[in-house]
Amino acid sequence: MMKRIALTVATALLSLAAAQTIGITQNNVGVDSYQTTYEQAFIEYAAELGVDTVVLDAGGDEARQIAQMQDLIQQEVDAIIIWPTNGQAVVPVVRQADQAGIPVVVTNSNIAEQGFDFIESFSGPDNITQGARSAEIMCDRLTERGLAETGVIVEIQGQPGYTTAIERSDGFQDRFVEVCPDVELLESQPGDWNREKSQRVMENFLVKYDTIHGVYSGDDNMGVGALNAAKDAGRADGITFVGATNFAVGYEAMERGEYWGSIYQSPVDDARNALDTALAILDGEDVPFLNYFDTPKITQDNQSEFTKPVF
Amino acid sequence: MTQTVATPPPTWQERGLKLLRDQGILIAFLLLVIALAFASDRFLTANNLLGVIRQVSILGTLALGVTFVVIGGNLDLSVGSMLSLTTVLVVDLHDKIGPGPAILITILVALVIGAINGGLVGYLRLNSVIVTLGMLSVLQGATLIYTGGKNVDIQNQDATWFAFFGRGQLFTIGDVNINVPVVLFLGLAVVLGIVLHKTGFGRKVFAVGGNPVAANYSGLRSSRIVLYTYMMSGFTVAIGAIILGSRVMGSQNNVGEGWELRVLAAVILGGTSLLGGSGSIFKTVIGVLIWGVIQNGLLLLGAPYYAQWIVTWIIMIVIVWLDLASRRGRLWAAT
Repeated sequence: MMKRIALTVATALLSLAAAQTIGITQNNVGVDSYQTTYEQAFIEYAAELGVDTVVLDAGGDEARQIAQMQDLIQQEVDAIIIWPTNGQAVVPVVRQADQAGIPVVVTNSNIAEQGFDFIESFSGPDNITQGARSAEIMCDRLTERGLAETGVIVEIQGQPGYTTAIERSDGFQDRFVEVCPDVELLESQPGDWNREKSQRVMENFLVKYDTIHGVYSGDDNMGVGALNAAKDAGRADGITFVGATNFAVGYEAMERGEYWGSIYQSPVDDARNALDTALAILDGEDVPFLNYFDTPKITQDNQSEFTKPVF
Repeated sequence: MTQTVATPPPTWQERGLKLLRDQGILIAFLLLVIALAFASDRFLTANNLLGVIRQVSILGTLALGVTFVVIGGNLDLSVGSMLSLTTVLVVDLHDKIGPGPAILITILVALVIGAINGGLVGYLRLNSVIVTLGMLSVLQGATLIYTGGKNVDIQNQDATWFAFFGRGQLFTIGDVNINVPVVLFLGLAVVLGIVLHKTGFGRKVFAVGGNPVAANYSGLRSSRIVLYTYMMSGFTVAIGAIILGSRVMGSQNNVGEGWELRVLAAVILGGTSLLGGSGSIFKTVIGVLIWGVIQNGLLLLGAPYYAQWIVTWIIMIVIVWLDLASRRGRLWAAT
């Protein structure tokens, strides 16, 4: 009996010590499945750890996000996590938080460089590595197919101007010439993260080029659009499709043997990593400035090791 | 422009302008095609040209309905997010209640939205930009609430007859496939062309858009005509959504984002006046094709994708200018 009471008291004390409040202002929760899943995972993980949270969503609106940041500063939360709507626009308000002594963690997409002095850490995916890994998946597969010397590929990029799109594309192109120097990248065009648009871009590629051995897309959603176009033209069999951010549709296309590989990026890992980073900073631990979570390669060969993405 | 017998023979400027006025859009289109044919040997192949029509078939289908609204003297800026909502709806309902009912409900929903737009503009006489710009946000919000932000997908993509609308092929000539979206778009253009140009309803649309006051005095129920033009727009959005959903076999929540302006650009490119009362389905089809040819041509030439925005704008300015020039009989404004 005494033991149980002691345990209860100890737990109560522990939870008292851990009763920290963490505020988060997100980019645009409703807009896609990734962000929706991220928010759910964040709330669940916080509940699991017994952390109090203030969960806000800017709805893609910079002005609203700045106001939310100011609210969180007023509420004197212990730490703020921000998913920037715009890497430039939020720098001044991030600086305000820093001056108020509240540590700021940036999640998923980084803020502009001039804001780096005011944040403790960036938690998110390493998009350059993702691009590089996609390049390796593509090159390995083309080599298996005996196309390391003669292959030609095309690229469908994310929306121009988005850091994620630029970094993935740079990471892919830089790594690809290293691993497959003889395979020519015929052309890169933006698909704007949009499946229908990517389908149209791919249709035009198919008209323009009689031979295409591989397609790299900045995410699976666009990759599946490209796959649709190739299937329509009866040319999908000769093409290796590699994407990034494995979506459920990409995962299923891999199960059907139509789509070769991707990068597994879980919004659940993303959310947990952000909260872990914030808590580690509050505990005074040494946290790397760029605190990436791992986004492994997934191909038809190893996809059984991964659960199907929920988005 | 009335000409009396006594006028001297037309100058080169007047002759040129008359030709431009009558066939300007067609001439612009043909010049564009010829230029692209010289620039890329891939361009003038049957497969590529049909590909262009297929790529613009969804945009074109929407533009047909919007043409009614514009000729009726109004704008419909809600078609983009209406496309998002209806595409999400038809894809999501497909697996839940089957393709047939999903299509029916989608068309009904689009007609109701069109009727709300049309009611507010026609009967309450509210400004159409305000009404449909508001509707644009409302429908985007409704889409996100409906899906909770998740993409929707059709599970058994190879096992549904729903694939017919976006992926089906009717027949093959040589190595050229005639696709269902192309046939749907051009078929609908013919039908709606007849409705607009050969029926009493069509004439009333022109009358209401050209001179609403006179139309009222001559006993036309212009409120109802406006209502019908918006329902027409809703209907073509639903058809576009069915083609789009079938083609992609899934939908993002923002799939129609920005389409309202693209559709409007195609209608204007064709030469239908934003002031209402003039235009035609044929012009819209040409405008849509110009849009598609620019997009396809620049890609074949390897130009940066976003060059098309700049090129489209320049061509649009030239077309609107020539249209105005032919109406006033001179290239420049008098003063």
